[in-house]
Amino acid sequence: MSAGTMVETPAGGRIRRATRRPEFTLALLAVAGFAALAVATDGNLLSGGTLDAFFRYLAVPIVIGLSQMVVLAIGQMNLSVGALTGLCSMVAAWLMLQAGLPAPVAVLGALAVGLAAGLVNGLLVVVTRINGFIVTLATMTIIEGLRYGVNGPDTFQGYSQRLRDFGRASVLGLPVVFLAALAVAALVAVFFARTVAGRHLLATGGSPFAARLSGVSNDRSIVLAHGLSGLLAGAAAVITVAASGSVNSSIGDDLLLPSFAAPIIGGVALAGGVVSVAGTCLAAFLVRLVDVMQAQFGINPRWIDLIIGAVVLGAVLLGTVRQKLLRRSS
Amino acid sequence: MILSAEGLVKTFPGVRALDGATLRLAAGSVHALLGENGAGKSTLIKILTGVYRPDGGRVLMGGAEVHLAGPLDAQKAGIGVVHQERNLIPEFSVAENIVLHHLPRRFGLVDRPRMKAEARRCLDLLDLDLDPDMPVAGLSVAQAQLVEIAKALSVDSKVLLLDEPTASLTGDEADRLYGIVGKLRDNGHAVVLVSHKLEEVFAVADTVTVLRDGHTVADAEPLAGYTQDQVVDLMVGRAYASVRLPERRVDPETPAALRLREVSTARGHRDVSLSVRPGEILGLYGLVGAGRSELAKALLGLDRITSGTVEVHGRPVRIRDVGEALRRHRIGYVTENRKEEGLFLDQPITRNIGVTVWRSLARAGLVTERAERRVVEEYADRLGIKASSPRQLAGQLSGGNQQKVSLAKWLAARCEILIVDEPTVGIDVRTKAAFHELIAELAGEGLALLLISSDLPEIVTLADRIAVMNDLAVRGELLNDHDYGRMSQAIIRLIHGDAR
Repeated sequence: MSAGTMVETPAGGRIRRATRRPEFTLALLAVAGFAALAVATDGNLLSGGTLDAFFRYLAVPIVIGLSQMVVLAIGQMNLSVGALTGLCSMVAAWLMLQAGLPAPVAVLGALAVGLAAGLVNGLLVVVTRINGFIVTLATMTIIEGLRYGVNGPDTFQGYSQRLRDFGRASVLGLPVVFLAALAVAALVAVFFARTVAGRHLLATGGSPFAARLSGVSNDRSIVLAHGLSGLLAGAAAVITVAASGSVNSSIGDDLLLPSFAAPIIGGVALAGGVVSVAGTCLAAFLVRLVDVMQAQFGINPRWIDLIIGAVVLGAVLLGTVRQKLLRRSS
Repeated sequence: MILSAEGLVKTFPGVRALDGATLRLAAGSVHALLGENGAGKSTLIKILTGVYRPDGGRVLMGGAEVHLAGPLDAQKAGIGVVHQERNLIPEFSVAENIVLHHLPRRFGLVDRPRMKAEARRCLDLLDLDLDPDMPVAGLSVAQAQLVEIAKALSVDSKVLLLDEPTASLTGDEADRLYGIVGKLRDNGHAVVLVSHKLEEVFAVADTVTVLRDGHTVADAEPLAGYTQDQVVDLMVGRAYASVRLPERRVDPETPAALRLREVSTARGHRDVSLSVRPGEILGLYGLVGAGRSELAKALLGLDRITSGTVEVHGRPVRIRDVGEALRRHRIGYVTENRKEEGLFLDQPITRNIGVTVWRSLARAGLVTERAERRVVEEYADRLGIKASSPRQLAGQLSGGNQQKVSLAKWLAARCEILIVDEPTVGIDVRTKAAFHELIAELAGEGLALLLISSDLPEIVTLADRIAVMNDLAVRGELLNDHDYGRMSQAIIRLIHGDAR
């Protein structure tokens, strides 16, 4: 056996490998789809207002997709992300309007509620040993009730002008909330790639048995993943409150499918252990393209649900096939 | 001959499990199938029950060739089997379990009265007075065993394979079972008995087939012509040429790195005492199911130790989990089950090796790629892991390289005490030899090694001392003089409960 048996592939190989990654395919699809839609709308997509709205309303899908992704990383699901985003939005608005607190405090309040609810999800999973799907199905329903409880059927509006300005601001032609979502994505990427805790999460998701026998605490990974998921749902809430200008108890109802669509189309393994922040962001972009197409051409939204649902199913099947091929080649 | 299997060949990657093996059974007889671990018994049984397809040779039932492409084919051909592990559904009733594979139907629904009558018939064959409506969960181990036999008979088996049927039975229960076996023989069945309890085999079997290294070395011979010692000789063989490894010397004065004093566990281990010094390899030999891996896991805090003490470098310790074993006591465990427990198959080699060292590499919570690569590459080079890149997924590596990755993470974490569980299972012969050299080398560098293995030649080649385990207890300890013939005989005698 000779030393130095693991040779780094030359640069040419690196490029070839990059083009084989699923993110590359998604990026191509995103560019092609965007160009096609721009042409189909006679350039309307590129006009100032439309382009601005396109990216402004991409921010929440990215963050909510990441919120689901961190739980998928450990091989679980969090059904409560949408409801939690709604609750956190209502809490932030309530803190500003009813409690009269300044916007920064309301923002921290929303994030704290998200984190706390996530940690409760995680602790419930660890303590009861009931799987995350069932636990978060139950907490989703509870959170929906709380969300309604904050202000009944009424709408909160007219809160902090500064926060709403932030939601509408642009830098270099891109909405600030979109850039904020990208910053959150970058932090999540660093978390998984570089921190010990992030890697332990992936180890738990990859194989809980191997993780345990390598000295990784699976319980800690589960609590952390759910906590982080809640925190990200809180961040999605802050963006919603800032960008929409008014919130009511229906916020978050339409977020559950997109929260799964982004990571699953983005190549995140449902079984856990494999995540892709770039893939999740690109997939959120693609789903947003479908939304805009619906708006531009006045297609019945039900058809859009059907399309996105079918794409998610297709992505899952594709992932399964890929896994089988991978196993066979080894 | 009611069944004859001729010239069976079965090859797995790197291993020839059967190499022209023969098994011939006469109706109305009890036939013992003997051989050491790895001799090919399990493979032969799996071929006869349709789990594996042979690469060569053929199986004849009553003189006509049969093709066993699956367990159903085997049932149809009249071959029933009772595996060592229980295969009953605990929530189902006795009757449902017995006729599970051919539930009688009426108008598309299960015909319960007929099901019960059929189950009753099978239970009667065994003189068993059991309520067919009772759930299996409420049965004793021995009763469940008999229900399994009834289940095997329900498909009208002419041949019945019993794999270690008395492993979990008391003496009285075993006697009762063998009474029933005698009855089946008188009814014209051919019963194949696989057991490592030679006393029992000699008491009930008429004829014997002995396998060694995939060959048949005794072909349906009358058992009356043999003594127990002669059978052991046949099982072991004398012609094994062991690989010579460089001499190592361990000063007997060196204090033990790891010592167990009369340790009992929640799993049922009783008063296990062992010790291993730095630079020494303690072999822990036993049959599958003897409780060796479970003992290792209890040591790591994955199972409860109920009494006795564990000492690391002379100090009594309480280990709660693997993290603590690793970080505080420098104990590592290379699992026998590398695909499920040893590796993250969908993750790159770097992550697989790095998982034990991230904590110590992190600066302000962040692990830099460079720091990780440095550690990973050092040990990948050291062990000669062959991969296209450190980022290659562990699942794409060969078995031998996977095992090296599984070992490398403990070396990277600078373990001082290493428990290595079946390190060469499913690994080809050349890589196996390289592994043996590596393990000897690690001991030479001062690691204390506990080598768990069911591979006799491996244990005799590598170990300095050999502890023999059976039924969750240590039956004895031998100083290894590396004389394969003598050591293997002594080990088998310890397992078979012979005090000589």
